[in-house]
Amino acid sequence: MADTNAPKPSSSVKLVLLGEAAVGKSSLVLRFVNNDFQENKEPTIGAAFLTQKCNLPTRTIKFEIWDTAGQERFASLAPMYYRNAQAALVVYDLTKPTSLIKAKHWVAELQRQASPGIVIALVGNKLDLTSDSAGTAEVSGDGDDNAEDSGDARKISTEEAKTYAEEEGLLFFETSAKTGHNVTEVFTAIANAIPETSLKSARGPGASHAGVSRTEEQRVNLNGPRDSHAKEGCAC
Amino acid sequence: MAMGSVSDTLWDVVICGTGLQQSLLALSLSRSGKNILHIDPNDYYGGAEAAFNLQEAESWVDRLATEDKGFFRSASITKPDVAGLSFPRAYSLALAPQLIHARSELLSQLVSSRAYRQVEFLAVGSFYIFKAPSGPEQQPSLVRIPSTREDVFSTTAISAKAKRGLMKFLKFVLDYDRLEQRDVWKTFAGRPLVDFLQEHFKMDAELKTYIITLTLSLDGKITTEDGLSTIYRHLTSMGHFGPGFAALYPKWGGISEVAQVACRAGAVGGAVYMLGAGIKSMATATDEVELELTSGDMVKTKLLVRGNESVGDGPSISRLVAVVGVLYLTTMATSNSKEVLSRALESFLSAMDHDQVPQCLYQLYYEQAAGVKQSRLDELTIDLPGPSLSLSMDDLLLKHVREAWKKVASDTADDAEYMIFTDREPVDDDDELE
Repeated sequence: MADTNAPKPSSSVKLVLLGEAAVGKSSLVLRFVNNDFQENKEPTIGAAFLTQKCNLPTRTIKFEIWDTAGQERFASLAPMYYRNAQAALVVYDLTKPTSLIKAKHWVAELQRQASPGIVIALVGNKLDLTSDSAGTAEVSGDGDDNAEDSGDARKISTEEAKTYAEEEGLLFFETSAKTGHNVTEVFTAIANAIPETSLKSARGPGASHAGVSRTEEQRVNLNGPRDSHAKEGCAC
Repeated sequence: MAMGSVSDTLWDVVICGTGLQQSLLALSLSRSGKNILHIDPNDYYGGAEAAFNLQEAESWVDRLATEDKGFFRSASITKPDVAGLSFPRAYSLALAPQLIHARSELLSQLVSSRAYRQVEFLAVGSFYIFKAPSGPEQQPSLVRIPSTREDVFSTTAISAKAKRGLMKFLKFVLDYDRLEQRDVWKTFAGRPLVDFLQEHFKMDAELKTYIITLTLSLDGKITTEDGLSTIYRHLTSMGHFGPGFAALYPKWGGISEVAQVACRAGAVGGAVYMLGAGIKSMATATDEVELELTSGDMVKTKLLVRGNESVGDGPSISRLVAVVGVLYLTTMATSNSKEVLSRALESFLSAMDHDQVPQCLYQLYYEQAAGVKQSRLDELTIDLPGPSLSLSMDDLLLKHVREAWKKVASDTADDAEYMIFTDREPVDDDDELE
C-alpha cells in the first residue's frame, strides 16, 4: 500500500433491528458498540440509535443502528423506521421456536416495505445457552449440531435456519451477545455485503469540513449550533 | 414499562390517535417518566394527517365507502388508462400536505426536542400563480410571486408602478405590528385584506391576487389582521434556513412524517404503542378511566387524551392528489369542486410544458370537513381540537398540545423546559448529512 495514512472513503449505513421481544436485539448492538453485556436487561428504553464504525480494507462503514424502541411489540413500527435502511438485522432466539416464526415474518415485512437491495442478516442469538456454547460453533461450517444433547436449550437447529436463510438470500449467523461470539462478524459481513454502488455520497477526507453541504439542492438542514462530540473507535 | 399485559398497569395517560397533536404530546412527554400508552384505532400512524402508498390509499377509500370515518367523505380513486405508474409503495400520498414556514414554532420545537434529525425537509422555493392565456396565440403560464425586495427589483412580470406599490406594502408588513403602524390597519382588522389593499394601498387586481395568494387563504376572504400576520410570517421566514425559501415540506409524507418521528421519540422514552386499537367503551370512576379497547384489552388510566372527532362548523375542503410526481390541489368544497380541481389540474399541467403536457397517472379525490377548533380539558379527559385544514402549519394547534402537556405533567414539569431535550446519543456534526 502506497499510503496507509490516507483516510479511506467513509459512508453511513442505516441498519434496522428487528425481531421478537427479548431475543437480544439490543444486547447484540450493545456488544458490538460498547463490547458490553448486561444480564437480565430491561426492555429497551432510551436508545434512539447507536453508531459504530466498521473498518474494511478499502472503506469505512459507519453503522447508524436503529432500535425498534419496543414499537415492534404490537406490530406498530412506522414506515419511517424502514425508510432508507440499507441493512437489517433480524434476530431470533435459538432456544425459542416462535421467535424464528416471528423472524420470518419480519423478513417478509422487510421484503415488502424496505428498499429493494437491502442487506438482511438472520441472526440466531443466545448460543451461550446451547451445548456448542464454547464459542466453537462454526456457522459457516457443515452445519450439523448437537441439538439433542442434554443440557442444551437449543430448539432451532442450525440447519433449519440456515436453509431458510439460503432460500431467502440472507446472511446467516449464530451468535452470543453474552460471550461476544460471532457478533463483530455479523456486522463485518453486512458491511462487506453492501454494494459499493448503493453507498450514498461516500465522503472522502475533508468533506466534513465543507460546511453546508446539501446532498440535494433543495434538501434543508435545520441543524442549529450545538456541541459535537464524535464517537470514535471501532470494534471491527 | 414492564413486559406484562397492558391491562396490568395503571397508566398515567392513555393517548388515543396518532395525528400531529397527539404525537407531539407523546414527544413532549417522552422524558417525563410518565407511564404512557399510545393507541390508534387505525393500523397506520398519522390519523387525519396520515400518508398512504397507493395500496393503502385504496383500502382507505374502500373503508370510507362502508363506514363513517369522521372528517372524510366522497373519496374516490381514478386511474387513467396510461402506462408509467411505478409499484404502489413507490408513492406516499399525504392527507395533510401542509407547508411549514421556517419561522413556525413547530420547527423550533422539533429542533429543541432533537426530533428533527429523523425528518428530511425539502425547501419550498417560490409561490407561483397560474396565468391563463390572454389571447388565442398565447400559452398558459406560471408566474412567480415576487416576495422579497430583490425579487421585486428583478421581476419583469409587473409594471414599475406596481413594483413601487408592492415594495411599499412589503416594507409596511415588516413592521405592521408596531404601534404607529397598527393605527393604519386597525379599522380594517376584521375586514377582508383585499379591502385594505384596495383602499389603503390602491393596488390593482393583479397585485391583490399576488398578495392574497401569499396568504394561502383558500377562499381569499382572509381578514386584514390574519392576512398581515400570515404575510409577516412569510417575509420573516424567507432566508431563515437558507437563501431563497420561506417554507419547508417534510419529504415523503408531509405532516405524517412529523407524527411518526414524534411517536418514535415517545417509544424511545418508554411509551407503549398499539396500532389497530381504538376505544370501544369507557367508564369513568372518581380518579381513573377504564377503557375497553377494540383489541379486547381493558386498560385503566389516570387521564385520557384524544382528538375531538366531531365535525365543526367551519367550511369543508376538497382535495385532489394527482400522481405526476405528486401534486396536491385543494379548494373549498362546493357542489362542483371536484370538476374545479380537475380543470385546475389540467390547466396546471398544460402550463408546465406546452409541447409535452405531463400525464397524470393516478388521482385520489376526497372531501374533508373542518373539526372543532377548541380543546376541552376535563378532570379525566382532554379532547384536542380537530385537524387543521389550512395549507400551512397552524401554530395555534401547538398551544393546545402544550396545555395538555401541562395537565399531564403538571406535578413534575417546568414550563420553561417544554420540548427542550438533549440528544440521547452523541452525534457527529458531519454525519447527519449522509
